[in-house]
Amino acid sequence: MNSRPDPNESENPMNTPDLKVDALVVGGGIAGMQSALDLADQGYRVALVEKEASIGGKMIMLSKVFPTLDCCSCITTPKMSAVAHHDNITLLTTCDVQALHTNGNGGYTAKVQQNPRYIDADACTGCRQCEYVCPIDLPASYDLDMGATRAIRVPFSTAVPQKAIIDIEHCLLCGKCEKACPTDAVDFSQQPFTFNIETNAVVLATGFQTTPTDAKREYGGGKLLNVIDALSMERLLAPTGPYGHILRPSDGKEPESIAYVQCAGSRDQSLGVPYCSRVCCMYAIKQAMLLSGALPMADITIYYMDIRTFGKGYEQFYQNAKAMGIEFVHGKVARIDEDSEHNPVIRVETIENGRIAERTHDLVVLSVGMLPGENLGPIFDVQPADDGFAAIPDPTLSPSATGHPGVFVTGTASGPMDIVDSIIMAGAAAAQAAAYLETMRSSVAAGPTAIPEVAHV
Amino acid sequence: MSEKDIRIGAYVCYCGGNISDVVDCEQVAETLRGLPNVVVVRTDLSMCSDAGQSLIEEDIKEKGVNRVVVGACAPSLHEVTFRKAVARAGLNPYLYHHVCLREQDSWVHQSNPDEATAKAGRLMLAGIAKARMLEQLDTIRLEAEQHALVIGGGIAGLRTAWDAAQRGIRVTLIEKSPFLGGHMAQLETIFPTGENARQALHELIEKVVSHFLVTVYTNAELTSARGYMGDFRVTITAQPRGVAEDFAHFDEAAAACPVEVPDDFNYGLTTRKAIYLRYPDAIPNTPAIDWKACTRCGECKKVNGTGIDLDGKPQTIDLTVGAVVVATGFQPYQPREGEFGYGQFPEVVTLPQMIRLMTMQEGNGKLTWNGHPVNNIALIHCVGSREIPGVHEPQEDGRVNDYCSRICCTATLQMTNELHERFPYINLFDLHEDIRTYSRGHEDIYTEASKNGVRFLRFHGDERPEVTAAPPDDTSPLLVRVKDYLTWGKELEVPADLVVLATGMMPNPVSDIVKLLKITEGNDRFLLEVHPKLQPVETAVPGVILAGTAQGPMNIQETCSAASAAAAKVGVLLGQGQVSLEPFVARVNHDLCDGSGQCVAVCAYEDAIALEPVLVDGKTVQKAVVSPANCVGCGVCVSVCPNHAIDVQGWTLEQYEAMVDAITADLPKLEVVE
Ligand SMILES: Cc1cc2nc3c(=O)[nH]c(=O)nc-3n(C[C@H](O)[C@H](O)[C@H](O)COP(=O)(O)OP(=O)(O)OC[C@H]3O[C@@H](n4cnc5c(N)ncnc54)[C@H](O)[C@@H]3O)c2cc1C
Ligand SMILES: Cc1cc2nc3c(=O)[nH]c(=O)nc-3n(C[C@H](O)[C@H](O)[C@H](O)COP(=O)(O)OP(=O)(O)OC[C@H]3O[C@@H](n4cnc5c(N)ncnc54)[C@H](O)[C@@H]3O)c2cc1C
Repeated sequence: MNSRPDPNESENPMNTPDLKVDALVVGGGIAGMQSALDLADQGYRVALVEKEASIGGKMIMLSKVFPTLDCCSCITTPKMSAVAHHDNITLLTTCDVQALHTNGNGGYTAKVQQNPRYIDADACTGCRQCEYVCPIDLPASYDLDMGATRAIRVPFSTAVPQKAIIDIEHCLLCGKCEKACPTDAVDFSQQPFTFNIETNAVVLATGFQTTPTDAKREYGGGKLLNVIDALSMERLLAPTGPYGHILRPSDGKEPESIAYVQCAGSRDQSLGVPYCSRVCCMYAIKQAMLLSGALPMADITIYYMDIRTFGKGYEQFYQNAKAMGIEFVHGKVARIDEDSEHNPVIRVETIENGRIAERTHDLVVLSVGMLPGENLGPIFDVQPADDGFAAIPDPTLSPSATGHPGVFVTGTASGPMDIVDSIIMAGAAAAQAAAYLETMRSSVAAGPTAIPEVAHV
Repeated sequence: MSEKDIRIGAYVCYCGGNISDVVDCEQVAETLRGLPNVVVVRTDLSMCSDAGQSLIEEDIKEKGVNRVVVGACAPSLHEVTFRKAVARAGLNPYLYHHVCLREQDSWVHQSNPDEATAKAGRLMLAGIAKARMLEQLDTIRLEAEQHALVIGGGIAGLRTAWDAAQRGIRVTLIEKSPFLGGHMAQLETIFPTGENARQALHELIEKVVSHFLVTVYTNAELTSARGYMGDFRVTITAQPRGVAEDFAHFDEAAAACPVEVPDDFNYGLTTRKAIYLRYPDAIPNTPAIDWKACTRCGECKKVNGTGIDLDGKPQTIDLTVGAVVVATGFQPYQPREGEFGYGQFPEVVTLPQMIRLMTMQEGNGKLTWNGHPVNNIALIHCVGSREIPGVHEPQEDGRVNDYCSRICCTATLQMTNELHERFPYINLFDLHEDIRTYSRGHEDIYTEASKNGVRFLRFHGDERPEVTAAPPDDTSPLLVRVKDYLTWGKELEVPADLVVLATGMMPNPVSDIVKLLKITEGNDRFLLEVHPKLQPVETAVPGVILAGTAQGPMNIQETCSAASAAAAKVGVLLGQGQVSLEPFVARVNHDLCDGSGQCVAVCAYEDAIALEPVLVDGKTVQKAVVSPANCVGCGVCVSVCPNHAIDVQGWTLEQYEAMVDAITADLPKLEVVE
């Protein structure tokens, strides 16, 4: 973060009107959305900048969510909708913050680039006629490449905004969509453009990424067909998922024996990830429960080091899973191979009896951990700590404050956490941003106004 | 509007499978098509999504729909979501009716999809019957007092107070004890940062108490509360401190005091006098009289006549506040007599006691306890946590603590690290079920403990360790027996000079506050939020908000996040000086009311309904008048009115009758479900 804006950088080629807001929220996952809503509901003007074509973050990809087992859309989509319709929120998708400068008045100037959708967003109604005529089939990234999508598409059924976007790298420029579009919204001539957002407070909610499936070679992820990661299982379980069934990749068979390998990417010095990712125990137990519903005859085993169900109601959730017959095996999985039918074979040292066992399953799910998302150092001058997540100078009393006044970090950008904790922390960031905005506003006017009647202090 | 102008849109939500996996939504929709007044019937995977909501908006704008019925999840989840969508399309938001097809149908009839489908049809028909009779209503808008009452002066209450005051909202913070800081003041080095607890705490306290918008009362409790969000009338009762601020003879006075009681600051390891300071630099730094212990013998006054007043009277303070934040905190689990040898062997202490005990040991030489050198320490996790109903002995209320207290694992390992650093010769045994060092920096504390040579033993929840007396010729007084699953289920005996019980968290007892504010406790006895993701810090009572460990176990960082989130909610509710309440309140038809006052007699809410003089045909007569802000719409008055003069808006008797008729009507179309 430089203190003085570079005059050449702040030019605005498209002449879009610059935006002036009270708070800029970067990242439209659950944490960013909640911070934006908690600020906007207090009357502050908020700009929410999301780099993807839809808000929702990782959460919108999930099936049902622990601990309440609410369907994930039931919690996420109304929040997405509330963000989109809020009078105090300007939603900016397909946007990147490219630079942030202090503006000398306690606030900041963000230089933002909007990347083209190649669609006139005002005209597009999300009718998807374009999608039906597009000749290009692509693996759907929203479904982690399991389903198919088109080069022009509305990102997913519950996307906000419901606007198409063209994946220009894969587009043939055949023009079929242009002809099919009832509102003439397709526009291949769009260019990226930059504009400025003037703001007093900044909330960074740029989220996390999951451990790459192939990170731990011994586990065969990415190589063995029937070893998948937990996010893929979320998609398989989701009602909006690619197949509508739980099928294993090698032969499309319904698995009868499913294993979870915990800490696949967490608490593992060999991967440089010594920390616990906090959510994997709970999501594995959740998925195991959902699988027992979807495949009542299937055997489900969870291989673990410690079960960390520490949140409110979480231990009871774990005990319920045990009572449902889900098998918990205390042991560290050493490696995973496969037999001639592509059935994964797990080699595990079971700690309860000290034996090395080999157990064959139809499908193995790696409980991948949380890795830091975007490095907030270069643009926002919020440096990563040793674990790669944003460094917090006073984590005990001010868990969302960064070293820069008015700049806050929230959700999984500040360390692994689940949705409940992300939402609480989003509220905390909003409270502190609001406090900052008010102290900025009244730093001149403040003074003692009241003498308490009976104050013991 | 005449009957024929009513145009109903009916929508059946799949709820992403939650409903449609059991209920045949398409069939339900089919039974609704063609019903009188029903002009649109649709199904959708997720009506609450933006796309689903847009369907409703378009139907209102383009198809002239003027009543909307959605069958979906419970109204507590998304009734408001859909009302907002209806309002965006320009229709009065109360021309909406929400039918619950999930909690009341698909979730409870999973094994019986045909009946569930039939039931869904009936519920929708009832909703449509009601929708025909819906009328426009307006929310009740009220001025909100931009002032919050925060109950509890621990770190949670302090952090909420600070954020709210900075936001510009006046705060009154009340603390039951004479000193601020709660349990954080009793900690020393805190995980995961290694900071000094009281130093960090005091910095915040100083800021809070000197903020011009904050008033703090210690020795103070909430003694009455009424009213509603934006306008709560509360009474605070503050006990006198008994000691003047400028009193300068504390040491002599304490020496003179003949009363000696267990010092709760040190969890009973030491004693103190009835005149006391919680610790030397406690805030406020004025001593206080412990009225429960004081015999009013007057010895303390003799050292210096002025400055001590043993005859002070409690003061009451009446306030109007817009919101109440409950931050009443936790208490460590108190083991039963004999539980793991507690109370039976002096060598068994709790972890909170151990933290205090460490401060009483001089230097880094030898650790002694009870006059004996300590060479072996066993630390037992999950005492008063993760208990199993039917296996572990229940408490007085018949319940066990089946939850995880989440702070004890890291706090215990942090204790082993401190012990190792100060007394490296001590053998440390850590007996656990699982190690839950889940948060940032916590795993490092575990790794360090492993490197320090702490011996870990792992037991099963239903086979907890036993603490017994060692045979007389053993060097250590205690033996801890454990079936250890890290050595394949071997029965081991660990010699111990000291046993530390990692006791969990229980909520502070707050039944009085629960009653006064009409909030609820969960099965775990902690205060209950509305929904962990949708309204995580709100109670079912609008305007009453939760902060910190009163809601569930949390460490300090989590407590501060939760407390700030509570402040954000205060900002949302009060920041704009106005609140709006739902219009579902009683309404009296004065043509029918005969002023009998039976409604007033049965009403359980203060100032909600009263007889007032009303001018009718030039004569003044008594009629019932509702104060909408105080009415909760419970409907008791409706049931006693002899003249059917009262109705609850939005839920009138006529509407109920129409719904019941619809539910009980013959439905040939639904009977045979193939
Ligand atoms: C397999 C799996 C299952 C899970 N199941 C559950 C569950 O059942 N219950 C539960 O509570 N939790 C669950 N979780 C955890 C949950 O997914 C996270 O807690 C939550 O999604 C975190 O939200 P976030 O907003 O912090 O991050 P994200 O969801 O990662 O959102 C970050 C957003 O910021 C955007 N962004 C990033 N960088 C930029 C930038 N520079 N500019 C603009 N935008 C940017 C991203 O595109 C994204 O939209 C699960 C996690 C996994 C991996
Ligand atoms: C053994 C142990 C070690 C710990 N170590 C750590 C650590 O190293 N790091 C860490 O982060 N966390 C640690 N914690 C957790 C930490 O103590 C809590 O997170 C924190 O103290 C909770 O603060 P609180 O304000 O919610 O509750 P409390 O500290 O309990 O404060 C509640 C306050 O409310 C007051 N009160 C109660 N009822 C009323 C009423 N009716 N009216 C008015 N006032 C009332 C009480 O007197 C008290 O002052 C530890 C906990 C324990 C038990």
